[in-house]
Amino acid sequence: MPDALEVVGLHAGYGRILVVRDASLRVEPGEVVALLGSNGSGKSTLLKAVAGLLKPEAGAVRLFGKDVTGVPPERLVSNGLALVPEGRMLFGPLTVAENLALGAYATGHVQEVLERVLALFPVLSARLSQPASTLSGGEQQMLAIGRALMSRPRVMLLDEPSLGLAPRVVSDIFDVLDELRSEGIAVVLVEQDANLALKHADRGYVMRGGRIVMEGPAADLRRNDDVRLAYLGSWHGKEPTDADLES
Amino acid sequence: MTSVQVVAAVAVLAVPFLGADRYLLKVLTFVGVNTLIVLGLALLFGYAGQVSLGHAAFFGIGAYTSAYLSSALGLPWLVAVAAAVGLTACAGWAVAVPGLRLKGHYLAMATLGFNEIMSVAFVEARRFTGGNDGLGGVPFPSIGPYELDTPASLYLLVWGVALVALVGAANIVKSRPGRAMRALHCTEPGASACGIDVSSVKVRAFTLSAALAGLAGSLYAHTVGFISPTTFGLDLSILLVAAVVLGGRESLAGPVVAMAALTLLQYLGALVPGLSRQAAEAVQDWVPDIVGLTVVGVLIARSRGFRLRGRRGVPERGGQG
Repeated sequence: MPDALEVVGLHAGYGRILVVRDASLRVEPGEVVALLGSNGSGKSTLLKAVAGLLKPEAGAVRLFGKDVTGVPPERLVSNGLALVPEGRMLFGPLTVAENLALGAYATGHVQEVLERVLALFPVLSARLSQPASTLSGGEQQMLAIGRALMSRPRVMLLDEPSLGLAPRVVSDIFDVLDELRSEGIAVVLVEQDANLALKHADRGYVMRGGRIVMEGPAADLRRNDDVRLAYLGSWHGKEPTDADLES
Repeated sequence: MTSVQVVAAVAVLAVPFLGADRYLLKVLTFVGVNTLIVLGLALLFGYAGQVSLGHAAFFGIGAYTSAYLSSALGLPWLVAVAAAVGLTACAGWAVAVPGLRLKGHYLAMATLGFNEIMSVAFVEARRFTGGNDGLGGVPFPSIGPYELDTPASLYLLVWGVALVALVGAANIVKSRPGRAMRALHCTEPGASACGIDVSSVKVRAFTLSAALAGLAGSLYAHTVGFISPTTFGLDLSILLVAAVVLGGRESLAGPVVAMAALTLLQYLGALVPGLSRQAAEAVQDWVPDIVGLTVVGVLIARSRGFRLRGRRGVPERGGQG
Protein backbone atom coordinates (compact mmCIF):
# COMPACT_ATOMS: atom_id res chain seq x y z
CA MET A 1 0.00 0.00 0.00
CA PRO A 2 1.43 3.39 -0.94
CA ASP A 3 1.93 6.09 1.67
CA ALA A 4 -1.02 8.40 2.26
CA LEU A 5 1.22 11.37 1.64
CA GLU A 6 4.70 11.34 0.21
CA VAL A 7 6.85 14.41 -0.35
CA VAL A 8 10.07 13.89 -2.28
CA GLY A 9 12.90 16.42 -2.63
CA LEU A 10 10.59 19.41 -2.42
CA HIS A 11 11.96 22.89 -3.05
CA ALA A 12 9.61 25.81 -2.44
CA GLY A 13 9.79 29.52 -1.78
CA TYR A 14 8.47 32.96 -2.58
CA GLY A 15 9.62 34.51 -5.84
CA ARG A 16 13.37 34.15 -6.03
CA ILE A 17 13.78 33.36 -2.35
CA LEU A 18 13.97 29.64 -1.76
CA VAL A 19 12.69 28.78 1.72
CA VAL A 20 12.32 24.99 1.73
CA ARG A 21 15.18 22.94 0.28
CA ASP A 22 15.08 19.29 -0.58
CA ALA A 23 12.44 18.31 1.96
CA SER A 24 11.20 14.72 1.94
CA LEU A 25 8.66 13.16 4.24
CA ARG A 26 6.05 10.46 4.24
CA VAL A 27 2.91 9.74 6.24
CA GLU A 28 1.12 6.41 6.43
CA PRO A 29 -2.67 6.08 6.73
CA GLY A 30 -3.68 6.44 10.36
CA GLU A 31 -0.40 8.03 11.32
CA VAL A 32 0.03 11.40 13.04
CA VAL A 33 3.27 13.07 12.03
CA ALA A 34 4.55 16.21 13.72
CA LEU A 35 6.52 18.79 11.75
CA LEU A 36 8.67 20.76 14.18
CA GLY A 37 10.97 23.71 13.94
CA SER A 38 11.44 27.19 15.29
CA ASN A 39 10.06 30.34 13.68
CA GLY A 40 11.19 30.74 10.10
CA SER A 41 12.45 27.20 9.73
CA GLY A 42 10.15 26.61 6.76
CA LYS A 43 7.43 24.38 8.21
CA SER A 44 4.52 26.57 7.11
CA THR A 45 6.04 27.05 3.66
CA LEU A 46 6.40 23.29 3.29
CA LEU A 47 2.78 22.82 4.34
CA LYS A 48 1.60 25.49 1.88
CA ALA A 49 3.49 23.80 -0.94
CA VAL A 50 1.91 20.44 -0.07
CA ALA A 51 -1.57 22.00 0.15
CA GLY A 52 -1.21 23.62 -3.27
CA LEU A 53 -1.25 27.20 -2.00
CA LEU A 54 2.32 27.59 -3.24
CA LYS A 55 3.76 26.08 -6.40
CA PRO A 56 6.86 23.99 -5.60
CA GLU A 57 10.08 24.86 -7.48
CA ALA A 58 11.09 21.22 -7.66
CA GLY A 59 10.24 17.87 -6.18
CA ALA A 60 7.04 15.90 -5.98
CA VAL A 61 3.97 15.55 -3.77
CA ARG A 62 2.06 12.27 -3.97
CA LEU A 63 -1.30 11.36 -2.45
CA PHE A 64 -1.71 7.58 -2.23
CA GLY A 65 0.83 7.23 -5.02
CA LYS A 66 -0.89 9.78 -7.27
CA ASP A 67 1.23 12.74 -8.30
CA VAL A 68 -0.46 15.99 -7.20
CA THR A 69 2.51 18.37 -7.40
CA GLY A 70 1.32 21.91 -8.08
CA VAL A 71 -2.36 20.94 -8.21
CA PRO A 72 -4.46 23.91 -6.97
CA PRO A 73 -5.97 23.54 -3.47
CA GLU A 74 -9.57 23.40 -4.64
CA ARG A 75 -8.79 20.24 -6.63
CA LEU A 76 -6.74 18.66 -3.85
CA VAL A 77 -9.83 18.66 -1.63
CA SER A 78 -11.63 16.30 -3.98
CA ASN A 79 -8.48 14.13 -3.99
CA GLY A 80 -8.85 13.58 -0.25
CA LEU A 81 -6.54 16.23 1.18
CA ALA A 82 -7.86 18.81 3.62
CA LEU A 83 -6.05 21.80 5.07
CA VAL A 84 -6.85 23.46 8.37
CA PRO A 85 -5.11 26.74 7.67
CA GLU A 86 -3.13 28.76 10.17
CA GLY A 87 -5.41 31.41 11.68
CA ARG A 88 -8.37 29.10 10.99
CA MET A 89 -9.77 31.24 8.11
CA LEU A 90 -13.39 30.70 9.10
CA PHE A 91 -16.29 32.46 7.39
CA GLY A 92 -17.05 34.82 10.29
CA PRO A 93 -20.50 36.22 9.42
CA LEU A 94 -21.77 32.82 8.21
CA THR A 95 -23.33 30.42 10.68
CA VAL A 96 -21.59 27.35 12.07
CA ALA A 97 -23.90 25.18 9.94
CA GLU A 98 -23.02 27.14 6.80
CA ASN A 99 -19.31 26.89 7.58
CA LEU A 100 -19.63 23.13 7.90
CA ALA A 101 -21.68 22.90 4.69
CA LEU A 102 -18.97 24.82 2.84
CA GLY A 103 -16.43 22.27 4.05
CA ALA A 104 -18.30 19.72 1.94
CA TYR A 105 -18.48 22.12 -1.04
CA ALA A 106 -16.19 20.10 -3.31
CA THR A 107 -17.19 16.61 -2.28
CA GLY A 108 -20.91 16.88 -1.66
CA HIS A 109 -22.82 17.01 1.60
CA VAL A 110 -23.34 13.76 3.47
CA GLN A 111 -25.56 13.77 6.55
CA GLU A 112 -23.60 11.01 8.34
CA VAL A 113 -20.38 12.98 8.00
CA LEU A 114 -22.03 16.01 9.61
CA GLU A 115 -23.30 13.83 12.45
CA ARG A 116 -19.84 12.35 12.98
CA VAL A 117 -18.25 15.81 13.09
CA LEU A 118 -20.84 16.99 15.60
CA ALA A 119 -20.23 13.87 17.68
CA LEU A 120 -16.53 14.69 17.64
CA PHE A 121 -17.19 18.30 18.69
CA PRO A 122 -20.49 18.24 20.62
CA VAL A 123 -20.16 21.91 21.53
CA LEU A 124 -20.77 22.84 17.88
CA SER A 125 -24.24 21.22 17.80
CA ALA A 126 -25.53 23.86 20.19
CA ARG A 127 -24.10 26.65 18.07
CA LEU A 128 -25.19 25.60 14.56
CA SER A 129 -27.26 28.71 13.85
CA GLN A 130 -24.78 31.14 15.39
CA PRO A 131 -22.31 33.19 13.28
CA ALA A 132 -18.85 31.62 13.43
CA SER A 133 -17.35 34.92 14.59
CA THR A 134 -19.27 34.68 17.88
CA LEU A 135 -17.54 31.42 18.91
CA SER A 136 -14.70 31.34 21.40
CA GLY A 137 -11.18 30.71 20.10
CA GLY A 138 -11.27 27.03 21.01
CA GLU A 139 -14.67 26.53 19.43
CA GLN A 140 -13.45 28.29 16.30
CA GLN A 141 -10.50 25.88 16.07
CA MET A 142 -12.89 22.96 16.50
CA LEU A 143 -15.08 24.39 13.74
CA ALA A 144 -12.04 24.78 11.48
CA ILE A 145 -11.12 21.11 12.00
CA GLY A 146 -14.77 20.08 11.65
CA ARG A 147 -15.09 22.03 8.41
CA ALA A 148 -12.02 20.25 7.01
CA LEU A 149 -13.44 16.86 8.07
CA MET A 150 -16.67 17.56 6.13
CA SER A 151 -14.84 16.76 2.88
CA ARG A 152 -14.09 13.24 4.19
CA PRO A 153 -10.31 13.68 3.87
CA ARG A 154 -7.83 10.83 3.98
CA VAL A 155 -4.97 13.22 4.64
CA MET A 156 -5.31 16.25 6.88
CA LEU A 157 -2.84 19.10 7.27
CA LEU A 158 -3.16 20.97 10.55
CA ASP A 159 -1.33 24.28 10.78
CA GLU A 160 -0.71 25.55 14.33
CA PRO A 161 -3.94 24.35 15.95
CA SER A 162 -2.89 25.50 19.45
CA LEU A 163 -2.17 29.09 18.43
CA GLY A 164 -3.57 31.52 20.98
CA LEU A 165 -5.68 28.97 22.84
CA ALA A 166 -5.95 28.18 26.55
CA PRO A 167 -4.06 24.97 27.55
CA ARG A 168 -7.21 23.12 28.61
CA VAL A 169 -8.92 23.75 25.26
CA VAL A 170 -5.73 22.74 23.47
CA SER A 171 -5.73 19.34 25.13
CA ASP A 172 -9.39 18.80 24.08
CA ILE A 173 -8.46 19.55 20.49
CA PHE A 174 -5.42 17.30 20.55
CA ASP A 175 -7.47 14.43 21.93
CA VAL A 176 -9.39 14.53 18.65
CA LEU A 177 -6.15 13.58 16.86
CA ASP A 178 -6.37 10.16 18.46
CA GLU A 179 -9.90 9.78 17.03
CA LEU A 180 -8.68 10.72 13.56
CA ARG A 181 -5.85 8.21 13.82
CA SER A 182 -8.28 5.44 14.72
CA GLU A 183 -10.32 6.30 11.63
CA GLY A 184 -7.26 5.87 9.44
CA ILE A 185 -6.79 9.52 8.55
CA ALA A 186 -3.18 10.56 8.01
CA VAL A 187 -2.38 13.79 9.84
CA VAL A 188 0.48 16.23 9.38
CA LEU A 189 0.69 18.48 12.39
CA VAL A 190 2.67 21.71 12.30
CA GLU A 191 3.05 22.97 15.82
CA GLN A 192 5.15 25.46 17.77
CA ASP A 193 4.64 23.54 20.98
CA ALA A 194 6.96 20.64 20.17
CA ASN A 195 6.43 18.89 23.49
CA LEU A 196 2.68 18.78 23.02
CA ALA A 197 2.93 17.76 19.37
CA LEU A 198 5.31 14.87 20.11
CA LYS A 199 3.04 13.66 22.90
CA HIS A 200 0.25 13.08 20.36
CA ALA A 201 2.27 12.19 17.27
CA ASP A 202 3.64 8.82 16.12
CA ARG A 203 6.63 10.24 14.34
CA GLY A 204 8.22 13.62 13.90
CA TYR A 205 10.36 15.62 11.51
CA VAL A 206 12.52 18.52 12.65
CA MET A 207 13.22 21.40 10.26
CA ARG A 208 15.99 23.95 10.46
CA GLY A 209 16.92 26.56 7.86
CA GLY A 210 14.46 25.12 5.35
CA ARG A 211 15.83 21.58 5.53
CA ILE A 212 14.64 18.52 7.37
CA VAL A 213 17.50 17.80 9.75
CA MET A 214 16.12 15.00 11.87
CA GLU A 215 13.35 12.46 11.84
CA GLY A 216 12.25 9.59 14.00
CA PRO A 217 9.62 8.14 16.30
CA ALA A 218 8.00 10.77 18.50
CA ALA A 219 9.19 9.13 21.73
CA ASP A 220 12.82 9.16 20.57
CA LEU A 221 12.63 12.79 19.50
CA ARG A 222 11.24 13.77 22.88
CA ARG A 223 14.23 12.16 24.60
CA ASN A 224 16.76 13.44 22.10
CA ASP A 225 18.95 16.09 23.71
CA ASP A 226 19.44 18.08 20.52
CA VAL A 227 15.71 18.37 19.96
CA ARG A 228 15.11 19.27 23.56
CA LEU A 229 17.82 21.88 23.45
CA ALA A 230 16.58 23.34 20.20
CA TYR A 231 12.81 23.11 20.37
CA LEU A 232 11.47 22.03 23.69
CA GLY A 233 13.01 25.09 25.18
CA SER A 234 13.03 24.40 28.87
CA TRP A 235 16.78 24.15 29.40
CA HIS A 236 17.62 27.76 28.85
CA GLY A 237 15.71 30.82 29.90
CA LYS A 238 14.65 31.41 26.32
CA GLU A 239 14.11 29.29 23.27
CA PRO A 240 17.16 29.40 21.01
CA THR A 241 16.36 30.68 17.55
CA ASP A 242 17.70 29.53 14.22
CA ALA A 243 20.29 32.28 14.34
CA ASP A 244 21.68 31.02 17.68
CA LEU A 245 22.04 27.53 16.31
CA GLU A 246 23.81 28.59 13.13
CA SER A 247 26.54 30.44 15.04
CA MET B 1 -41.45 33.39 -0.43
CA THR B 2 -43.05 34.83 2.64
CA SER B 3 -46.50 36.41 2.55
CA VAL B 4 -44.94 39.87 2.94
CA GLN B 5 -42.91 39.34 -0.21
CA VAL B 6 -45.94 38.12 -2.17
CA VAL B 7 -47.97 41.16 -1.04
CA ALA B 8 -45.11 43.48 -2.04
CA ALA B 9 -44.85 41.85 -5.48
CA VAL B 10 -48.61 42.08 -6.05
CA ALA B 11 -48.61 45.71 -4.88
CA VAL B 12 -45.81 46.58 -7.31
CA LEU B 13 -47.63 44.96 -10.23
CA ALA B 14 -50.97 46.57 -9.25
CA VAL B 15 -49.68 50.15 -9.55
CA PRO B 16 -50.77 50.72 -13.21
CA PHE B 17 -54.31 49.60 -12.37
CA LEU B 18 -54.62 52.09 -9.53
CA GLY B 19 -54.84 55.06 -11.84
CA ALA B 20 -51.27 56.29 -11.56
CA ASP B 21 -50.57 58.98 -14.16
CA ARG B 22 -48.29 58.49 -17.17
CA TYR B 23 -45.39 60.46 -15.76
CA LEU B 24 -45.38 58.65 -12.45
CA LEU B 25 -45.50 55.31 -14.29
CA LYS B 26 -42.48 56.31 -16.38
CA VAL B 27 -40.51 57.28 -13.30
CA LEU B 28 -41.44 54.03 -11.59
CA THR B 29 -40.40 52.14 -14.73
CA PHE B 30 -36.94 53.71 -14.36
CA VAL B 31 -36.95 52.50 -10.77
CA GLY B 32 -37.62 49.00 -12.11
CA VAL B 33 -34.74 49.28 -14.59
CA ASN B 34 -32.40 50.43 -11.82
CA THR B 35 -33.65 47.59 -9.62
CA LEU B 36 -32.35 45.12 -12.21
CA ILE B 37 -28.90 46.74 -12.32
CA VAL B 38 -28.57 47.05 -8.56
CA LEU B 39 -29.59 43.39 -8.11
CA GLY B 40 -26.59 42.35 -10.16
CA LEU B 41 -24.30 44.64 -8.20
CA ALA B 42 -25.74 43.41 -4.89
CA LEU B 43 -24.78 39.85 -5.89
CA LEU B 44 -21.31 40.89 -7.00
CA PHE B 45 -20.46 43.47 -4.35
CA GLY B 46 -22.80 42.70 -1.43
CA TYR B 47 -22.38 38.92 -1.54
CA ALA B 48 -19.12 38.11 -3.38
CA GLY B 49 -17.36 41.25 -2.11
CA GLN B 50 -16.06 42.33 -5.52
CA VAL B 51 -16.61 46.03 -6.14
CA SER B 52 -17.44 47.38 -9.59
CA LEU B 53 -17.50 51.06 -10.49
CA GLY B 54 -18.24 50.15 -14.09
CA HIS B 55 -21.79 48.89 -14.03
CA ALA B 56 -23.19 51.93 -15.85
CA ALA B 57 -20.95 50.94 -18.77
CA PHE B 58 -22.46 47.44 -18.90
CA PHE B 59 -25.90 49.09 -18.71
CA GLY B 60 -24.83 51.21 -21.69
CA ILE B 61 -23.46 48.29 -23.71
CA GLY B 62 -26.80 46.52 -23.31
CA ALA B 63 -28.77 49.63 -24.24
CA TYR B 64 -26.72 50.52 -27.35
CA THR B 65 -26.55 46.93 -28.59
CA SER B 66 -30.29 46.49 -28.32
CA ALA B 67 -31.06 49.91 -29.77
CA TYR B 68 -28.69 49.54 -32.74
CA LEU B 69 -29.82 46.02 -33.64
CA SER B 70 -33.52 46.81 -33.52
CA SER B 71 -33.54 50.31 -35.05
CA ALA B 72 -30.66 50.27 -37.56
CA LEU B 73 -30.79 46.58 -38.50
CA GLY B 74 -34.48 46.06 -37.83
CA LEU B 75 -34.04 42.83 -35.89
CA PRO B 76 -36.97 41.58 -33.78
CA TRP B 77 -37.11 42.80 -30.19
CA LEU B 78 -36.44 39.43 -28.54
CA VAL B 79 -33.37 38.88 -30.73
CA ALA B 80 -32.06 42.33 -29.82
CA VAL B 81 -32.58 41.65 -26.10
CA ALA B 82 -30.84 38.29 -26.30
CA ALA B 83 -27.92 39.80 -28.23
CA ALA B 84 -27.64 42.67 -25.74
CA VAL B 85 -27.54 40.31 -22.76
CA GLY B 86 -25.08 38.00 -24.51
CA LEU B 87 -22.72 40.76 -25.57
CA THR B 88 -22.80 42.39 -22.13
CA ALA B 89 -22.07 39.05 -20.49
CA CYS B 90 -19.07 38.63 -22.81
CA ALA B 91 -17.90 42.15 -21.96
CA GLY B 92 -18.30 41.37 -18.26
CA TRP B 93 -16.30 38.18 -18.66
CA ALA B 94 -13.58 40.03 -20.59
CA VAL B 95 -13.28 42.63 -17.82
CA ALA B 96 -13.48 40.04 -15.05
CA VAL B 97 -10.74 37.66 -16.19
CA PRO B 98 -7.89 40.18 -15.97
CA GLY B 99 -9.65 42.54 -13.53
CA LEU B 100 -10.39 40.10 -10.74
CA ARG B 101 -6.69 39.44 -10.23
CA LEU B 102 -6.95 42.83 -8.55
CA LYS B 103 -8.50 43.38 -5.16
CA GLY B 104 -10.33 46.14 -3.30
CA HIS B 105 -9.31 49.63 -4.35
CA TYR B 106 -7.35 48.38 -7.37
CA LEU B 107 -10.39 46.53 -8.69
CA ALA B 108 -12.48 49.67 -8.10
CA MET B 109 -9.95 51.73 -10.10
CA ALA B 110 -9.84 49.21 -12.95
CA THR B 111 -13.63 49.08 -13.31
CA LEU B 112 -13.81 52.88 -12.99
CA GLY B 113 -11.31 53.08 -15.83
CA PHE B 114 -13.45 50.69 -17.87
CA ASN B 115 -16.49 52.93 -17.32
CA GLU B 116 -14.55 56.00 -18.50
CA ILE B 117 -13.25 54.17 -21.58
CA MET B 118 -16.77 53.07 -22.49
CA SER B 119 -18.11 56.61 -21.94
CA VAL B 120 -15.64 57.82 -24.57
CA ALA B 121 -16.50 54.91 -26.84
CA PHE B 122 -20.24 55.66 -26.65
CA VAL B 123 -19.50 59.22 -27.84
CA GLU B 124 -16.87 58.38 -30.46
CA ALA B 125 -18.40 55.31 -32.11
CA ARG B 126 -20.82 57.61 -33.97
CA ARG B 127 -21.71 55.08 -36.63
CA PHE B 128 -23.28 52.84 -34.03
CA THR B 129 -24.19 55.14 -31.17
CA GLY B 130 -24.96 58.47 -32.82
CA GLY B 131 -22.30 60.15 -30.66
CA ASN B 132 -23.37 62.98 -28.37
CA ASP B 133 -26.66 63.34 -30.26
CA GLY B 134 -27.68 59.90 -29.05
CA LEU B 135 -29.64 57.18 -30.74
CA GLY B 136 -33.36 57.72 -31.28
CA GLY B 137 -36.27 55.88 -32.80
CA VAL B 138 -35.74 52.71 -30.80
CA PRO B 139 -38.91 50.64 -31.36
CA PHE B 140 -41.13 49.57 -28.49
CA PRO B 141 -40.85 45.96 -27.33
CA SER B 142 -42.94 43.69 -29.53
CA ILE B 143 -43.50 40.02 -30.12
CA GLY B 144 -45.07 39.38 -33.50
CA PRO B 145 -48.02 41.73 -33.92
CA TYR B 146 -48.22 42.60 -30.23
CA GLU B 147 -46.49 45.82 -29.26
CA LEU B 148 -46.06 47.17 -25.75
CA ASP B 149 -46.48 50.90 -26.35
CA THR B 150 -48.39 52.20 -23.33
CA PRO B 151 -46.64 53.34 -20.12
CA ALA B 152 -48.66 50.77 -18.17
CA SER B 153 -47.60 47.83 -20.33
CA LEU B 154 -43.96 48.94 -20.31
CA TYR B 155 -44.12 49.29 -16.55
CA LEU B 156 -45.49 45.77 -16.23
CA LEU B 157 -42.82 44.37 -18.57
CA VAL B 158 -39.90 46.00 -16.71
CA TRP B 159 -41.20 45.16 -13.25
CA GLY B 160 -42.17 41.65 -14.30
CA VAL B 161 -38.59 41.02 -15.43
CA ALA B 162 -37.20 42.72 -12.31
CA LEU B 163 -39.32 40.57 -9.99
CA VAL B 164 -38.29 37.38 -11.79
CA ALA B 165 -34.65 38.45 -11.46
CA LEU B 166 -35.20 39.20 -7.78
CA VAL B 167 -36.60 35.72 -7.15
CA GLY B 168 -33.73 34.20 -9.14
CA ALA B 169 -31.13 36.17 -7.21
CA ALA B 170 -32.75 35.20 -3.91
CA ASN B 171 -32.45 31.56 -4.92
CA ILE B 172 -28.83 31.95 -5.95
CA VAL B 173 -27.75 33.45 -2.63
CA LYS B 174 -29.46 30.66 -0.70
CA SER B 175 -27.91 27.85 -2.69
CA ARG B 176 -24.41 26.47 -3.29
CA PRO B 177 -23.01 29.21 -5.58
CA GLY B 178 -24.34 31.85 -3.18
CA ARG B 179 -22.59 30.21 -0.25
CA ALA B 180 -19.38 30.08 -2.27
CA MET B 181 -19.68 33.81 -3.02
CA ARG B 182 -20.25 34.66 0.63
CA ALA B 183 -17.36 32.41 1.65
CA LEU B 184 -14.82 34.10 -0.60
CA HIS B 185 -16.07 37.47 0.61
CA CYS B 186 -15.02 36.39 4.13
CA THR B 187 -11.65 34.83 3.37
CA GLU B 188 -10.23 33.71 0.04
CA PRO B 189 -7.63 31.29 1.48
CA GLY B 190 -10.35 29.75 3.65
CA ALA B 191 -12.60 29.39 0.62
CA SER B 192 -9.95 27.64 -1.46
CA ALA B 193 -9.11 25.39 1.49
CA CYS B 194 -12.75 24.27 1.27
CA GLY B 195 -12.32 23.35 -2.38
CA ILE B 196 -13.93 26.47 -3.83
CA ASP B 197 -12.36 27.62 -7.10
CA VAL B 198 -12.18 31.26 -6.02
CA SER B 199 -11.30 32.84 -9.35
CA SER B 200 -13.95 30.88 -11.24
CA VAL B 201 -16.67 31.90 -8.76
CA LYS B 202 -15.58 35.54 -9.04
CA VAL B 203 -15.61 35.50 -12.84
CA ARG B 204 -19.04 33.87 -12.95
CA ALA B 205 -20.48 36.36 -10.45
CA PHE B 206 -19.07 39.26 -12.45
CA THR B 207 -20.40 37.89 -15.74
CA LEU B 208 -23.88 37.32 -14.31
CA SER B 209 -23.85 40.77 -12.76
CA ALA B 210 -22.87 42.40 -16.06
CA ALA B 211 -25.52 40.40 -17.92
CA LEU B 212 -28.22 41.72 -15.58
CA ALA B 213 -27.02 45.29 -16.25
CA GLY B 214 -27.12 44.53 -19.98
CA LEU B 215 -30.69 43.24 -19.69
CA ALA B 216 -31.64 46.41 -17.84
CA GLY B 217 -29.96 48.48 -20.56
CA SER B 218 -31.91 46.73 -23.27
CA LEU B 219 -35.24 47.22 -21.47
CA TYR B 220 -34.35 50.86 -20.86
CA ALA B 221 -33.57 51.56 -24.53
CA HIS B 222 -36.87 50.09 -25.74
CA THR B 223 -38.85 51.79 -23.00
CA VAL B 224 -37.65 55.36 -23.54
CA GLY B 225 -36.96 55.05 -27.27
CA PHE B 226 -33.94 57.40 -27.10
CA ILE B 227 -30.55 56.92 -25.47
CA SER B 228 -27.53 59.18 -25.13
CA PRO B 229 -24.07 58.74 -23.55
CA THR B 230 -24.67 60.86 -20.43
CA THR B 231 -27.02 58.22 -19.01
CA PHE B 232 -24.19 55.66 -18.83
CA GLY B 233 -21.56 57.73 -17.08
CA LEU B 234 -19.71 57.30 -13.83
CA ASP B 235 -22.48 59.11 -11.88
CA LEU B 236 -24.79 56.13 -12.25
CA SER B 237 -22.03 53.65 -11.34
CA ILE B 238 -21.36 55.57 -8.14
CA LEU B 239 -25.07 55.79 -7.35
CA LEU B 240 -25.31 51.99 -7.72
CA VAL B 241 -22.36 51.33 -5.41
CA ALA B 242 -23.85 53.79 -2.91
CA ALA B 243 -27.16 51.90 -3.01
CA VAL B 244 -25.42 48.59 -2.22
CA VAL B 245 -23.42 50.20 0.60
CA LEU B 246 -26.59 51.74 2.04
CA GLY B 247 -28.56 48.54 1.56
CA GLY B 248 -26.03 46.48 3.40
CA ARG B 249 -23.78 43.49 2.89
CA GLU B 250 -25.53 40.23 2.06
CA SER B 251 -28.89 41.77 1.34
CA LEU B 252 -31.00 42.02 -1.82
CA ALA B 253 -33.99 43.94 -0.48
CA GLY B 254 -31.73 46.58 1.10
CA PRO B 255 -29.94 47.68 -2.09
CA VAL B 256 -33.20 47.52 -4.09
CA VAL B 257 -34.99 49.84 -1.65
CA ALA B 258 -31.97 52.14 -1.40
CA MET B 259 -31.69 52.37 -5.20
CA ALA B 260 -35.42 53.10 -5.49
CA ALA B 261 -35.05 55.93 -2.98
CA LEU B 262 -31.98 57.36 -4.74
CA THR B 263 -33.75 57.17 -8.12
CA LEU B 264 -36.91 58.85 -6.85
CA LEU B 265 -34.86 61.61 -5.24
CA GLN B 266 -34.00 62.89 -8.72
CA TYR B 267 -37.68 63.26 -9.63
CA LEU B 268 -38.73 64.70 -6.30
CA GLY B 269 -40.05 67.95 -7.82
CA ALA B 270 -42.60 66.18 -9.99
CA LEU B 271 -43.56 63.56 -7.44
CA VAL B 272 -44.29 65.72 -4.40
CA PRO B 273 -47.24 67.96 -5.43
CA GLY B 274 -46.75 70.84 -2.99
CA LEU B 275 -43.01 71.22 -3.52
CA SER B 276 -41.97 74.59 -4.91
CA ARG B 277 -39.95 74.78 -8.11
CA GLN B 278 -36.90 76.21 -6.37
CA ALA B 279 -36.93 73.53 -3.70
CA ALA B 280 -37.21 70.77 -6.31
CA GLU B 281 -34.33 72.22 -8.33
CA ALA B 282 -32.21 72.60 -5.20
CA VAL B 283 -32.75 68.92 -4.34
CA GLN B 284 -31.90 67.90 -7.90
CA ASP B 285 -28.66 69.93 -7.83
CA TRP B 286 -27.69 68.44 -4.51
CA VAL B 287 -28.44 64.79 -5.27
CA PRO B 288 -24.76 63.72 -5.49
CA ASP B 289 -23.98 65.55 -2.27
CA ILE B 290 -26.98 64.09 -0.48
CA VAL B 291 -25.98 60.60 -1.64
CA GLY B 292 -22.34 61.08 -0.58
CA LEU B 293 -23.21 62.48 2.82
CA THR B 294 -25.77 59.74 3.46
CA VAL B 295 -23.22 57.05 2.61
CA VAL B 296 -20.63 58.62 4.92
CA GLY B 297 -23.21 59.02 7.67
CA VAL B 298 -24.38 55.42 7.39
CA LEU B 299 -20.83 54.08 7.33
CA ILE B 300 -20.05 56.01 10.50
CA ALA B 301 -23.21 54.86 12.25
CA ARG B 302 -23.28 51.27 11.00
CA SER B 303 -20.18 50.04 9.28
CA ARG B 304 -22.05 47.27 7.50
CA GLY B 305 -24.97 49.33 6.22
CA PHE B 306 -28.60 48.86 7.10
CA ARG B 307 -29.85 45.36 7.20
CA LEU B 308 -33.37 45.04 5.91
CA ARG B 309 -33.58 41.47 7.05
CA GLY B 310 -35.27 40.39 10.25
CA ARG B 311 -32.08 39.50 12.02
CA ARG B 312 -30.94 40.11 15.51
CA GLY B 313 -27.94 42.39 15.79
CA VAL B 314 -24.99 40.16 16.63
CA PRO B 315 -21.75 41.73 17.78
CA GLU B 316 -19.25 41.25 14.99
CA ARG B 317 -15.92 39.80 15.96
CA GLY B 318 -13.01 38.91 13.75
CA GLY B 319 -13.83 35.59 12.17
CA GLN B 320 -10.16 34.82 11.76
CA GLY B 321 -9.01 35.94 15.20
